[in-house]
Amino acid sequence: MIGHQLALLKREFWEHRSIWLTPAVIGVVICLLTVTGQVSVSAFGEAVDLAILGASNIDPVQRRIVLMALFGVVTTIFAIGAGIVVIFYSLDTLYAERKDKSILFWRSMPVTDAETVISKLLIALLVIPLAFVVGAMITEIVVMILMSIWIAMQGGNAGHLVWGSAPLVDIWLASLFMAIAIPIWLSPFIGWFLFVSAYTKRSPMLMAFLPLLVVPMLEKLILKSNLLYDAIITRTSQPPIADAEGWEVFENYENMQITEESVSLLASLDMIGFATSPSVWAGIVVCGLFTTAAIYVRRYRDESY
Amino acid sequence: MSSLVSARDVSKSFGDVHAVDHVSFEIEKGKIMGLIGPNGAGKTTLLKALLGLTDCDGELSVLGLDPFRQRKQLMQNICFIADVAVLPRWIRVYQLLDFVESIHPNFSRQRADDLLGKTKIMRQSKVRQLSKGMVTQLHLAIIMAVDAKLLVLDEPTLGLDILFRKEFYSNLLSDYFDGERTILITTHQVEEIENLLTDIMFIDDGRILLNTTMDSLHDTFAQIVTSGDNAAEAKGLAPIYEAEMFGKTVMMFEGADRDRLRALGDLSTPSVADLFVAKVKGARA
Repeated sequence: MIGHQLALLKREFWEHRSIWLTPAVIGVVICLLTVTGQVSVSAFGEAVDLAILGASNIDPVQRRIVLMALFGVVTTIFAIGAGIVVIFYSLDTLYAERKDKSILFWRSMPVTDAETVISKLLIALLVIPLAFVVGAMITEIVVMILMSIWIAMQGGNAGHLVWGSAPLVDIWLASLFMAIAIPIWLSPFIGWFLFVSAYTKRSPMLMAFLPLLVVPMLEKLILKSNLLYDAIITRTSQPPIADAEGWEVFENYENMQITEESVSLLASLDMIGFATSPSVWAGIVVCGLFTTAAIYVRRYRDESY
Repeated sequence: MSSLVSARDVSKSFGDVHAVDHVSFEIEKGKIMGLIGPNGAGKTTLLKALLGLTDCDGELSVLGLDPFRQRKQLMQNICFIADVAVLPRWIRVYQLLDFVESIHPNFSRQRADDLLGKTKIMRQSKVRQLSKGMVTQLHLAIIMAVDAKLLVLDEPTLGLDILFRKEFYSNLLSDYFDGERTILITTHQVEEIENLLTDIMFIDDGRILLNTTMDSLHDTFAQIVTSGDNAAEAKGLAPIYEAEMFGKTVMMFEGADRDRLRALGDLSTPSVADLFVAKVKGARA
Protein backbone atom coordinates (compact mmCIF):
# COMPACT_ATOMS: atom_id res chain seq x y z
CA MET A 1 0.00 0.00 0.00
CA ILE A 2 2.73 2.46 1.00
CA GLY A 3 4.95 1.12 -1.78
CA HIS A 4 2.12 1.81 -4.23
CA GLN A 5 1.67 5.31 -2.87
CA LEU A 6 5.38 6.07 -3.24
CA ALA A 7 5.37 4.83 -6.84
CA LEU A 8 2.30 6.96 -7.57
CA LEU A 9 3.89 10.06 -6.00
CA LYS A 10 7.09 9.48 -8.00
CA ARG A 11 4.97 9.26 -11.12
CA GLU A 12 3.48 12.70 -10.36
CA PHE A 13 7.01 14.12 -10.02
CA TRP A 14 7.89 12.79 -13.46
CA GLU A 15 4.77 14.18 -15.06
CA HIS A 16 4.60 17.54 -13.28
CA ARG A 17 8.14 18.81 -13.25
CA SER A 18 6.88 22.23 -12.11
CA ILE A 19 6.65 20.72 -8.60
CA TRP A 20 10.43 20.98 -8.19
CA LEU A 21 11.38 23.16 -11.15
CA THR A 22 9.36 26.20 -10.00
CA PRO A 23 10.91 26.48 -6.51
CA ALA A 24 14.34 25.95 -8.07
CA VAL A 25 13.78 28.81 -10.54
CA ILE A 26 12.37 31.12 -7.84
CA GLY A 27 15.38 30.35 -5.62
CA VAL A 28 17.88 31.07 -8.38
CA VAL A 29 16.16 34.36 -9.26
CA ILE A 30 16.13 35.54 -5.62
CA CYS A 31 19.82 34.66 -5.24
CA LEU A 32 20.68 36.56 -8.43
CA LEU A 33 18.70 39.59 -7.25
CA THR A 34 20.58 39.43 -3.94
CA VAL A 35 23.88 39.50 -5.80
CA THR A 36 22.80 42.58 -7.76
CA GLY A 37 21.50 44.21 -4.56
CA GLN A 38 17.85 44.38 -5.50
CA VAL A 39 16.55 42.33 -2.63
CA SER A 40 15.86 44.77 0.13
CA VAL A 41 13.15 45.42 2.63
CA SER A 42 11.58 48.56 3.84
CA ALA A 43 11.71 49.05 7.57
CA PHE A 44 12.12 51.86 10.04
CA GLY A 45 11.12 54.34 7.40
CA GLU A 46 14.04 53.63 5.10
CA ALA A 47 15.04 51.05 2.59
CA VAL A 48 17.20 48.53 4.33
CA ASP A 49 19.30 46.56 1.92
CA LEU A 50 22.51 44.68 2.34
CA ALA A 51 24.54 47.86 2.47
CA ILE A 52 22.52 49.37 5.26
CA LEU A 53 22.29 46.12 7.20
CA GLY A 54 26.00 45.56 7.08
CA ALA A 55 27.13 49.10 7.68
CA SER A 56 24.48 50.67 9.85
CA ASN A 57 24.42 50.80 13.54
CA ILE A 58 20.84 49.58 14.02
CA ASP A 59 20.38 47.74 17.29
CA PRO A 60 20.15 43.91 17.54
CA VAL A 61 16.36 43.85 17.94
CA GLN A 62 15.88 46.00 14.86
CA ARG A 63 18.38 43.89 12.94
CA ARG A 64 16.51 40.78 13.92
CA ILE A 65 13.24 42.28 12.71
CA VAL A 66 14.88 43.39 9.47
CA LEU A 67 16.26 39.93 8.77
CA MET A 68 12.99 38.32 9.71
CA ALA A 69 11.14 40.68 7.38
CA LEU A 70 13.62 39.95 4.59
CA PHE A 71 13.16 36.21 5.00
CA GLY A 72 9.44 36.75 5.42
CA VAL A 73 9.40 38.29 1.95
CA VAL A 74 11.43 35.38 0.54
CA THR A 75 9.06 32.87 2.14
CA THR A 76 6.02 34.79 0.88
CA ILE A 77 7.33 34.72 -2.69
CA PHE A 78 7.72 30.94 -2.40
CA ALA A 79 4.25 30.64 -0.85
CA ILE A 80 2.66 32.53 -3.75
CA GLY A 81 4.58 30.30 -6.18
CA ALA A 82 3.37 27.20 -4.32
CA GLY A 83 -0.22 28.44 -4.46
CA ILE A 84 -0.07 28.94 -8.22
CA VAL A 85 1.52 25.52 -8.79
CA VAL A 86 -1.07 23.83 -6.54
CA ILE A 87 -3.95 25.46 -8.46
CA PHE A 88 -2.58 24.48 -11.87
CA TYR A 89 -1.60 21.00 -10.71
CA SER A 90 -4.89 20.09 -9.07
CA LEU A 91 -6.94 21.40 -11.98
CA ASP A 92 -4.84 19.61 -14.58
CA THR A 93 -4.03 16.27 -13.05
CA LEU A 94 -7.28 14.34 -13.47
CA TYR A 95 -8.21 16.25 -16.64
CA ALA A 96 -4.99 15.66 -18.58
CA GLU A 97 -5.08 11.89 -18.12
CA ARG A 98 -8.55 11.80 -19.66
CA LYS A 99 -7.64 14.17 -22.45
CA ASP A 100 -4.65 12.13 -23.63
CA LYS A 101 -6.50 8.88 -22.87
CA SER A 102 -3.64 7.65 -20.70
CA ILE A 103 -6.25 7.06 -18.00
CA LEU A 104 -6.87 3.76 -19.77
CA PHE A 105 -3.29 2.71 -19.21
CA TRP A 106 -3.27 3.85 -15.59
CA ARG A 107 -6.49 1.99 -14.98
CA SER A 108 -5.05 -1.17 -16.53
CA MET A 109 -2.63 -1.28 -13.59
CA PRO A 110 -3.59 -2.94 -10.30
CA VAL A 111 -4.19 0.37 -8.51
CA THR A 112 -7.56 1.54 -7.21
CA ASP A 113 -9.06 4.88 -8.21
CA ALA A 114 -8.97 5.89 -4.56
CA GLU A 115 -5.21 5.23 -4.34
CA THR A 116 -4.61 7.30 -7.47
CA VAL A 117 -6.77 10.28 -6.47
CA ILE A 118 -5.35 10.27 -2.93
CA SER A 119 -1.81 10.36 -4.36
CA LYS A 120 -2.82 13.48 -6.30
CA LEU A 121 -4.39 15.05 -3.21
CA LEU A 122 -1.18 14.37 -1.25
CA ILE A 123 0.88 16.07 -3.94
CA ALA A 124 -1.30 19.21 -3.83
CA LEU A 125 -1.78 19.30 -0.08
CA LEU A 126 1.61 18.23 1.19
CA VAL A 127 4.32 17.59 -1.37
CA ILE A 128 4.17 20.87 -3.32
CA PRO A 129 4.07 23.07 -0.16
CA LEU A 130 6.96 21.11 1.38
CA ALA A 131 8.99 21.29 -1.84
CA PHE A 132 8.57 25.06 -1.76
CA VAL A 133 9.52 25.29 1.94
CA VAL A 134 12.70 23.34 1.23
CA GLY A 135 13.33 25.69 -1.70
CA ALA A 136 12.84 28.70 0.60
CA MET A 137 15.19 27.27 3.22
CA ILE A 138 17.97 26.62 0.71
CA THR A 139 17.44 30.09 -0.80
CA GLU A 140 17.66 31.74 2.63
CA ILE A 141 20.95 29.96 3.38
CA VAL A 142 22.38 31.04 0.02
CA VAL A 143 21.18 34.63 0.56
CA MET A 144 22.86 34.64 3.97
CA ILE A 145 26.09 33.34 2.48
CA LEU A 146 25.94 36.08 -0.18
CA MET A 147 25.31 38.70 2.51
CA SER A 148 28.21 37.38 4.57
CA ILE A 149 30.55 37.59 1.61
CA TRP A 150 29.42 41.18 0.95
CA ILE A 151 29.78 42.22 4.59
CA ALA A 152 33.16 40.52 4.88
CA MET A 153 34.28 42.42 1.79
CA GLN A 154 33.28 45.66 3.56
CA GLY A 155 35.31 44.57 6.56
CA GLY A 156 32.23 43.78 8.68
CA ASN A 157 31.68 40.85 11.00
CA ALA A 158 29.21 38.65 9.13
CA GLY A 159 29.13 36.06 11.90
CA HIS A 160 27.71 38.65 14.27
CA LEU A 161 25.68 40.81 11.87
CA VAL A 162 24.00 38.06 9.90
CA TRP A 163 24.35 34.59 11.38
CA GLY A 164 24.10 35.78 14.96
CA SER A 165 21.04 37.89 14.21
CA ALA A 166 19.01 35.71 11.88
CA PRO A 167 16.46 33.64 13.77
CA LEU A 168 16.70 30.80 11.26
CA VAL A 169 15.22 27.99 13.36
CA ASP A 170 12.35 30.22 14.37
CA ILE A 171 11.61 31.20 10.78
CA TRP A 172 11.94 27.66 9.49
CA LEU A 173 9.70 26.08 12.08
CA ALA A 174 7.15 28.83 11.45
CA SER A 175 7.37 28.30 7.66
CA LEU A 176 6.98 24.56 8.10
CA PHE A 177 3.90 25.02 10.24
CA MET A 178 2.39 27.44 7.73
CA ALA A 179 3.26 25.13 4.82
CA ILE A 180 1.21 22.43 6.49
CA ALA A 181 -1.53 24.58 8.02
CA ILE A 182 -2.42 26.89 5.13
CA PRO A 183 -2.95 24.12 2.55
CA ILE A 184 -5.12 22.30 5.10
CA TRP A 185 -7.05 25.52 5.69
CA LEU A 186 -7.51 25.97 1.93
CA SER A 187 -8.10 22.24 1.31
CA PRO A 188 -11.81 22.71 0.41
CA PHE A 189 -10.57 24.53 -2.70
CA ILE A 190 -8.01 21.80 -3.47
CA GLY A 191 -10.75 19.18 -3.16
CA TRP A 192 -13.03 21.25 -5.38
CA PHE A 193 -10.28 21.65 -8.00
CA LEU A 194 -9.61 17.90 -8.05
CA PHE A 195 -13.31 17.24 -8.45
CA VAL A 196 -13.60 19.73 -11.33
CA SER A 197 -10.49 18.22 -12.90
CA ALA A 198 -12.07 14.75 -12.77
CA TYR A 199 -15.47 15.94 -13.90
CA THR A 200 -15.20 18.67 -16.50
CA LYS A 201 -15.12 18.01 -20.21
CA ARG A 202 -13.35 21.24 -21.06
CA SER A 203 -11.48 24.16 -19.58
CA PRO A 204 -11.05 23.13 -15.93
CA MET A 205 -9.78 26.60 -14.96
CA LEU A 206 -12.99 28.28 -16.08
CA MET A 207 -15.20 25.54 -14.69
CA ALA A 208 -13.49 25.79 -11.30
CA PHE A 209 -13.53 29.56 -10.86
CA LEU A 210 -16.77 30.52 -12.58
CA PRO A 211 -19.03 28.82 -10.00
CA LEU A 212 -17.05 30.51 -7.21
CA LEU A 213 -18.15 33.84 -8.72
CA VAL A 214 -21.57 32.99 -10.11
CA VAL A 215 -23.06 30.88 -7.30
CA PRO A 216 -22.57 33.57 -4.59
CA MET A 217 -24.16 36.08 -7.01
CA LEU A 218 -27.15 33.80 -7.52
CA GLU A 219 -27.40 33.31 -3.78
CA LYS A 220 -27.53 37.08 -3.34
CA LEU A 221 -30.13 37.50 -6.07
CA ILE A 222 -32.40 34.61 -5.17
CA LEU A 223 -31.97 34.02 -1.46
CA LYS A 224 -30.87 37.55 -0.58
CA SER A 225 -28.09 36.11 1.56
CA ASN A 226 -24.29 36.17 1.50
CA LEU A 227 -23.42 32.88 3.17
CA LEU A 228 -21.30 31.45 0.37
CA TYR A 229 -19.65 34.77 -0.40
CA ASP A 230 -18.71 35.21 3.26
CA ALA A 231 -17.48 31.64 3.50
CA ILE A 232 -15.23 32.07 0.46
CA ILE A 233 -13.85 35.40 1.68
CA THR A 234 -13.20 34.09 5.19
CA ARG A 235 -11.62 30.95 3.83
CA THR A 236 -9.30 32.81 1.48
CA SER A 237 -8.31 35.67 3.78
CA GLN A 238 -8.38 34.61 7.41
CA PRO A 239 -6.62 31.37 8.27
CA PRO A 240 -6.93 30.87 12.05
CA ILE A 241 -3.19 30.61 12.64
CA ALA A 242 -2.22 33.93 14.22
CA ASP A 243 -1.59 34.27 17.94
CA ALA A 244 -2.81 37.74 18.88
CA GLU A 245 -0.20 38.38 21.56
CA GLY A 246 2.74 37.07 19.56
CA TRP A 247 1.66 39.01 16.51
CA GLU A 248 1.44 42.33 18.33
CA VAL A 249 5.23 42.53 18.42
CA PHE A 250 5.20 43.04 14.65
CA GLU A 251 2.23 45.39 14.57
CA ASN A 252 3.13 47.61 17.49
CA TYR A 253 6.85 47.31 18.08
CA GLU A 254 7.36 51.02 18.41
CA ASN A 255 5.26 51.27 21.57
CA MET A 256 6.45 48.06 23.18
CA GLN A 257 9.42 47.02 25.21
CA ILE A 258 10.69 44.21 23.04
CA THR A 259 13.67 42.01 23.52
CA GLU A 260 15.47 39.98 20.86
CA GLU A 261 13.71 36.81 22.07
CA SER A 262 10.25 38.29 21.74
CA VAL A 263 10.80 38.83 18.00
CA SER A 264 9.55 35.40 17.04
CA LEU A 265 7.51 34.37 14.05
CA LEU A 266 6.80 31.07 15.75
CA ALA A 267 5.38 32.84 18.79
CA SER A 268 3.03 34.75 16.50
CA LEU A 269 1.42 31.47 15.39
CA ASP A 270 -1.22 29.62 17.33
CA MET A 271 -0.77 25.93 16.48
CA ILE A 272 -3.08 24.52 19.10
CA GLY A 273 -5.74 27.06 18.24
CA PHE A 274 -5.45 25.99 14.60
CA ALA A 275 -5.59 22.28 15.32
CA THR A 276 -8.67 22.69 17.51
CA SER A 277 -10.51 25.17 15.30
CA PRO A 278 -13.89 23.79 14.20
CA SER A 279 -13.69 25.65 10.90
CA VAL A 280 -10.38 23.90 10.10
CA TRP A 281 -12.02 20.52 10.62
CA ALA A 282 -15.10 21.56 8.70
CA GLY A 283 -12.78 22.45 5.80
CA ILE A 284 -11.12 19.03 5.99
CA VAL A 285 -14.55 17.39 5.79
CA VAL A 286 -15.48 19.48 2.72
CA CYS A 287 -12.16 18.54 1.09
CA GLY A 288 -12.87 14.87 1.88
CA LEU A 289 -16.29 15.08 0.28
CA PHE A 290 -14.96 16.63 -2.92
CA THR A 291 -12.11 14.11 -3.06
CA THR A 292 -14.56 11.24 -2.64
CA ALA A 293 -16.66 12.72 -5.44
CA ALA A 294 -13.54 12.90 -7.63
CA ILE A 295 -12.79 9.22 -6.92
CA TYR A 296 -16.34 8.24 -7.85
CA VAL A 297 -16.30 10.27 -11.05
CA ARG A 298 -13.02 8.67 -12.09
CA ARG A 299 -14.40 5.25 -11.26
CA TYR A 300 -17.85 5.49 -12.80
CA ARG A 301 -17.26 7.64 -15.85
CA ASP A 302 -16.45 5.66 -18.97
CA GLU A 303 -17.03 8.06 -21.83
CA SER A 304 -13.29 8.54 -22.19
CA TYR A 305 -13.01 5.06 -23.69
CA MET B 1 -14.53 -25.30 -13.64
CA SER B 2 -12.16 -23.95 -16.24
CA SER B 3 -14.20 -20.90 -17.26
CA LEU B 4 -12.10 -17.81 -16.99
CA VAL B 5 -14.89 -15.50 -17.98
CA SER B 6 -18.50 -16.18 -17.25
CA ALA B 7 -21.26 -13.81 -18.30
CA ARG B 8 -24.90 -14.48 -17.54
CA ASP B 9 -27.59 -12.14 -18.78
CA VAL B 10 -25.23 -9.18 -18.89
CA SER B 11 -26.74 -5.86 -20.03
CA LYS B 12 -25.61 -2.28 -20.24
CA SER B 13 -27.77 0.59 -21.46
CA PHE B 14 -27.06 4.21 -22.14
CA GLY B 15 -30.48 5.82 -21.92
CA ASP B 16 -32.61 4.01 -24.50
CA VAL B 17 -29.65 2.44 -26.28
CA HIS B 18 -28.94 -1.14 -25.28
CA ALA B 19 -25.21 -1.33 -25.90
CA VAL B 20 -25.10 -4.85 -24.47
CA ASP B 21 -28.42 -6.67 -24.45
CA HIS B 22 -28.78 -9.73 -22.18
CA VAL B 23 -25.62 -11.48 -23.26
CA SER B 24 -24.45 -14.83 -21.87
CA PHE B 25 -21.23 -16.65 -22.70
CA GLU B 26 -18.20 -18.39 -21.22
CA ILE B 27 -14.56 -18.20 -22.16
CA GLU B 28 -12.45 -21.15 -21.11
CA LYS B 29 -8.84 -21.18 -20.10
CA GLY B 30 -6.30 -21.57 -22.91
CA LYS B 31 -8.53 -20.16 -25.65
CA ILE B 32 -7.87 -17.39 -28.10
CA MET B 33 -11.28 -15.84 -28.56
CA GLY B 34 -11.99 -13.37 -31.35
CA LEU B 35 -14.79 -10.91 -30.63
CA ILE B 36 -16.02 -9.59 -33.95
CA GLY B 37 -18.63 -6.92 -34.50
CA PRO B 38 -19.31 -3.79 -36.56
CA ASN B 39 -18.81 -0.33 -35.11
CA GLY B 40 -21.31 0.40 -32.39
CA ALA B 41 -22.13 -3.28 -31.90
CA GLY B 42 -21.35 -3.17 -28.20
CA LYS B 43 -17.88 -4.79 -28.35
CA THR B 44 -16.14 -2.01 -26.51
CA THR B 45 -18.85 -1.75 -23.87
CA LEU B 46 -18.64 -5.48 -23.29
CA LEU B 47 -14.85 -5.34 -22.97
CA LYS B 48 -15.11 -2.39 -20.61
CA ALA B 49 -17.47 -4.39 -18.42
CA LEU B 50 -15.06 -7.35 -18.48
CA LEU B 51 -12.18 -5.09 -17.46
CA GLY B 52 -14.10 -3.46 -14.62
CA LEU B 53 -14.07 -0.08 -16.33
CA THR B 54 -17.83 0.16 -16.31
CA ASP B 55 -20.68 -1.16 -14.23
CA CYS B 56 -23.28 -3.48 -15.81
CA ASP B 57 -26.41 -5.46 -15.00
CA GLY B 58 -26.45 -9.23 -14.80
CA GLU B 59 -23.85 -11.64 -13.52
CA LEU B 60 -20.33 -11.17 -14.71
CA SER B 61 -17.33 -12.98 -13.33
CA VAL B 62 -13.76 -12.75 -14.60
CA LEU B 63 -11.17 -15.02 -12.95
CA GLY B 64 -13.81 -15.54 -10.27
CA LEU B 65 -13.89 -11.81 -9.47
CA ASP B 66 -16.50 -9.11 -9.93
CA PRO B 67 -14.60 -6.88 -12.37
CA PHE B 68 -16.13 -3.55 -11.39
CA ARG B 69 -15.90 -4.04 -7.66
CA GLN B 70 -12.59 -5.91 -7.57
CA ARG B 71 -10.74 -4.16 -10.38
CA LYS B 72 -7.48 -3.86 -8.46
CA GLN B 73 -7.21 -7.60 -7.78
CA LEU B 74 -8.38 -8.35 -11.30
CA MET B 75 -5.70 -6.17 -12.87
CA GLN B 76 -3.00 -8.22 -11.20
CA ASN B 77 -3.96 -11.05 -13.51
CA ILE B 78 -5.32 -9.26 -16.55
CA CYS B 79 -3.54 -7.17 -19.11
CA PHE B 80 -5.14 -5.09 -21.77
CA ILE B 81 -4.25 -2.91 -24.69
CA ALA B 82 -7.20 -0.70 -25.48
CA ASP B 83 -5.77 1.35 -28.29
CA VAL B 84 -2.24 2.17 -29.35
CA ALA B 85 -2.54 5.76 -28.15
CA VAL B 86 -3.08 4.85 -24.54
CA LEU B 87 0.44 5.08 -23.12
CA PRO B 88 1.06 8.50 -21.53
CA ARG B 89 3.02 10.55 -24.03
CA TRP B 90 5.12 12.50 -21.52
CA ILE B 91 6.67 9.50 -19.82
CA ARG B 92 10.14 8.12 -20.56
CA VAL B 93 10.54 4.44 -21.34
CA TYR B 94 12.61 3.71 -18.22
CA GLN B 95 10.11 5.59 -16.03
CA LEU B 96 7.30 3.50 -17.42
CA LEU B 97 9.21 0.29 -16.66
CA ASP B 98 10.08 1.53 -13.15
CA PHE B 99 6.47 2.38 -12.47
CA VAL B 100 5.02 -0.94 -13.64
CA GLU B 101 7.74 -2.81 -11.76
CA SER B 102 6.87 -1.12 -8.48
CA ILE B 103 3.11 -1.39 -8.95
CA HIS B 104 2.58 -4.78 -10.58
CA PRO B 105 3.25 -7.90 -8.52
CA ASN B 106 3.41 -10.14 -11.59
CA PHE B 107 5.72 -8.00 -13.72
CA SER B 108 9.17 -9.27 -14.71
CA ARG B 109 11.57 -6.41 -15.44
CA GLN B 110 14.07 -8.88 -16.85
CA ARG B 111 11.58 -10.15 -19.38
CA ALA B 112 10.52 -6.64 -20.41
CA ASP B 113 14.19 -5.70 -20.87
CA ASP B 114 14.77 -8.82 -22.98
CA LEU B 115 11.78 -8.04 -25.18
CA LEU B 116 12.76 -4.38 -25.59
CA GLY B 117 16.30 -5.48 -26.40
CA LYS B 118 14.94 -6.87 -29.65
CA THR B 119 13.59 -3.44 -30.65
CA LYS B 120 15.14 -0.06 -31.40
CA ILE B 121 13.40 1.57 -28.42
CA MET B 122 15.75 3.63 -26.23
CA ARG B 123 15.21 3.69 -22.46
CA GLN B 124 15.67 7.48 -22.32
CA SER B 125 13.14 8.24 -25.07
CA LYS B 126 9.81 9.77 -24.26
CA VAL B 127 6.77 7.93 -25.55
CA ARG B 128 5.90 10.96 -27.72
CA GLN B 129 9.23 10.56 -29.54
CA LEU B 130 8.44 6.98 -30.57
CA SER B 131 6.68 5.99 -33.77
CA LYS B 132 3.23 4.50 -33.50
CA GLY B 133 4.61 1.04 -34.16
CA MET B 134 7.26 1.43 -31.48
CA VAL B 135 4.65 2.54 -28.95
CA THR B 136 2.76 -0.67 -29.63
CA GLN B 137 5.98 -2.69 -29.32
CA LEU B 138 6.64 -1.00 -25.98
CA HIS B 139 3.15 -1.61 -24.70
CA LEU B 140 3.24 -5.21 -25.85
CA ALA B 141 6.65 -5.75 -24.20
CA ILE B 142 5.23 -4.47 -20.91
CA ILE B 143 2.16 -6.62 -21.21
CA MET B 144 4.05 -9.75 -22.17
CA ALA B 145 6.35 -9.27 -19.19
CA VAL B 146 3.32 -9.53 -16.91
CA ASP B 147 2.45 -13.06 -15.98
CA ALA B 148 -1.25 -12.54 -16.61
CA LYS B 149 -3.95 -15.15 -16.95
CA LEU B 150 -6.05 -13.15 -19.40
CA LEU B 151 -4.94 -10.75 -22.09
CA VAL B 152 -7.51 -8.44 -23.66
CA LEU B 153 -6.62 -6.74 -26.93
CA ASP B 154 -9.03 -4.15 -28.32
CA GLU B 155 -8.04 -3.23 -31.87
CA PRO B 156 -4.37 -3.62 -30.93
CA THR B 157 -3.01 -2.98 -34.40
CA LEU B 158 -5.20 -0.07 -35.47
CA GLY B 159 -3.23 2.34 -37.62
CA LEU B 160 -0.11 0.19 -37.86
CA ASP B 161 1.50 -0.80 -41.13
CA ILE B 162 1.38 -4.36 -42.37
CA LEU B 163 4.92 -5.26 -41.22
CA PHE B 164 4.21 -4.25 -37.65
CA ARG B 165 0.87 -6.01 -37.69
CA LYS B 166 2.38 -9.32 -38.81
CA GLU B 167 5.18 -8.99 -36.29
CA PHE B 168 2.74 -8.13 -33.52
CA TYR B 169 0.72 -11.28 -33.99
CA SER B 170 3.70 -13.55 -34.49
CA ASN B 171 5.27 -12.19 -31.28
CA LEU B 172 1.99 -12.70 -29.51
CA LEU B 173 1.87 -16.34 -30.51
CA SER B 174 5.53 -17.21 -30.08
CA ASP B 175 6.34 -15.23 -26.93
CA TYR B 176 3.09 -15.09 -25.06
CA PHE B 177 0.61 -17.78 -25.82
CA ASP B 178 1.47 -21.06 -24.14
CA GLY B 179 -1.87 -22.81 -23.84
CA GLU B 180 -2.12 -21.77 -20.19
CA ARG B 181 -3.03 -18.20 -20.95
CA THR B 182 -6.18 -16.89 -22.50
CA ILE B 183 -6.53 -14.11 -25.02
CA LEU B 184 -9.59 -12.09 -25.98
CA ILE B 185 -9.12 -10.02 -29.07
CA THR B 186 -11.23 -7.64 -31.14
CA THR B 187 -10.34 -6.29 -34.54
CA HIS B 188 -11.81 -5.17 -37.81
CA GLN B 189 -9.06 -6.91 -39.73
CA VAL B 190 -10.57 -10.36 -39.20
CA GLU B 191 -8.55 -12.04 -41.92
CA GLU B 192 -5.31 -11.28 -40.09
CA ILE B 193 -6.26 -13.10 -36.93
CA GLU B 194 -8.46 -15.81 -38.39
CA ASN B 195 -5.66 -18.37 -38.26
CA LEU B 196 -4.70 -17.82 -34.68
CA LEU B 197 -8.15 -17.97 -33.12
CA THR B 198 -9.48 -21.06 -31.37
CA ASP B 199 -12.92 -19.57 -30.77
CA ILE B 200 -15.02 -16.87 -32.27
CA MET B 201 -17.93 -14.73 -31.17
CA PHE B 202 -19.97 -12.38 -33.36
CA ILE B 203 -21.79 -9.50 -31.77
CA ASP B 204 -24.19 -7.00 -33.32
CA ASP B 205 -26.69 -4.63 -31.77
CA GLY B 206 -25.64 -5.72 -28.31
CA ARG B 207 -26.50 -9.34 -28.97
CA ILE B 208 -24.41 -12.43 -29.67
CA LEU B 209 -25.06 -13.80 -33.16
CA LEU B 210 -22.60 -16.65 -33.05
CA ASN B 211 -20.37 -18.22 -30.43
CA THR B 212 -18.46 -21.26 -31.54
CA THR B 213 -15.05 -22.88 -31.92
CA MET B 214 -13.08 -22.42 -35.13
CA ASP B 215 -13.04 -26.21 -35.58
CA SER B 216 -16.79 -26.48 -35.56
CA LEU B 217 -17.05 -23.61 -38.01
CA HIS B 218 -15.89 -25.96 -40.73
CA ASP B 219 -18.51 -28.56 -39.79
CA THR B 220 -21.36 -26.13 -39.39
CA PHE B 221 -20.95 -23.64 -42.20
CA ALA B 222 -20.54 -24.20 -45.89
CA GLN B 223 -20.53 -21.97 -48.93
CA ILE B 224 -21.15 -22.85 -52.54
CA VAL B 225 -20.73 -20.97 -55.77
CA THR B 226 -23.34 -22.08 -58.23
CA SER B 227 -25.69 -20.98 -61.02
CA GLY B 228 -28.81 -21.93 -62.98
CA ASP B 229 -30.90 -24.91 -61.91
CA ASN B 230 -28.42 -25.87 -59.22
CA ALA B 231 -28.85 -22.44 -57.73
CA ALA B 232 -32.61 -22.85 -57.64
CA GLU B 233 -32.24 -26.23 -55.96
CA ALA B 234 -29.72 -24.91 -53.48
CA LYS B 235 -32.11 -22.14 -52.59
CA GLY B 236 -34.54 -24.80 -51.41
CA LEU B 237 -31.99 -25.79 -48.74
CA ALA B 238 -32.56 -22.52 -46.92
CA PRO B 239 -29.28 -20.61 -47.30
CA ILE B 240 -28.60 -18.10 -44.55
CA TYR B 241 -27.17 -15.69 -47.07
CA GLU B 242 -26.89 -15.31 -50.81
CA ALA B 243 -25.24 -12.85 -53.14
CA GLU B 244 -24.69 -12.46 -56.87
CA MET B 245 -21.11 -12.35 -58.02
CA PHE B 246 -19.85 -12.33 -61.64
CA GLY B 247 -23.09 -13.86 -62.83
CA LYS B 248 -22.91 -16.64 -60.29
CA THR B 249 -24.70 -17.08 -57.00
CA VAL B 250 -22.82 -17.44 -53.74
CA MET B 251 -24.83 -19.08 -50.97
CA MET B 252 -24.00 -19.84 -47.40
CA PHE B 253 -25.54 -22.60 -45.33
CA GLU B 254 -25.65 -23.43 -41.68
CA GLY B 255 -25.83 -27.08 -40.67
CA ALA B 256 -26.52 -28.29 -44.21
CA ASP B 257 -25.38 -31.65 -45.61
CA ARG B 258 -22.00 -30.94 -47.22
CA ASP B 259 -22.21 -33.90 -49.66
CA ARG B 260 -25.48 -32.64 -51.00
CA LEU B 261 -24.08 -29.14 -51.44
CA ARG B 262 -20.97 -30.45 -53.15
CA ALA B 263 -23.20 -31.85 -55.89
CA LEU B 264 -24.72 -28.42 -56.48
CA GLY B 265 -21.60 -26.25 -56.90
CA ASP B 266 -18.07 -25.39 -55.76
CA LEU B 267 -18.06 -26.13 -52.06
CA SER B 268 -15.85 -24.37 -49.53
CA THR B 269 -15.82 -23.26 -45.91
CA PRO B 270 -16.62 -19.56 -45.76
CA SER B 271 -14.00 -17.16 -44.42
CA VAL B 272 -14.75 -15.57 -41.07
CA ALA B 273 -15.21 -12.22 -42.79
CA ASP B 274 -17.79 -13.62 -45.23
CA LEU B 275 -19.52 -15.52 -42.48
CA PHE B 276 -19.66 -12.37 -40.41
CA VAL B 277 -21.30 -10.41 -43.22
CA ALA B 278 -23.81 -13.23 -43.73
CA LYS B 279 -24.71 -13.45 -40.05
CA VAL B 280 -25.03 -9.73 -39.53
CA LYS B 281 -27.13 -9.19 -42.66
CA GLY B 282 -29.20 -12.25 -41.83
CA ALA B 283 -29.87 -11.00 -38.33
CA ARG B 284 -30.78 -7.52 -39.50
CA ALA B 285 -33.05 -8.74 -42.33
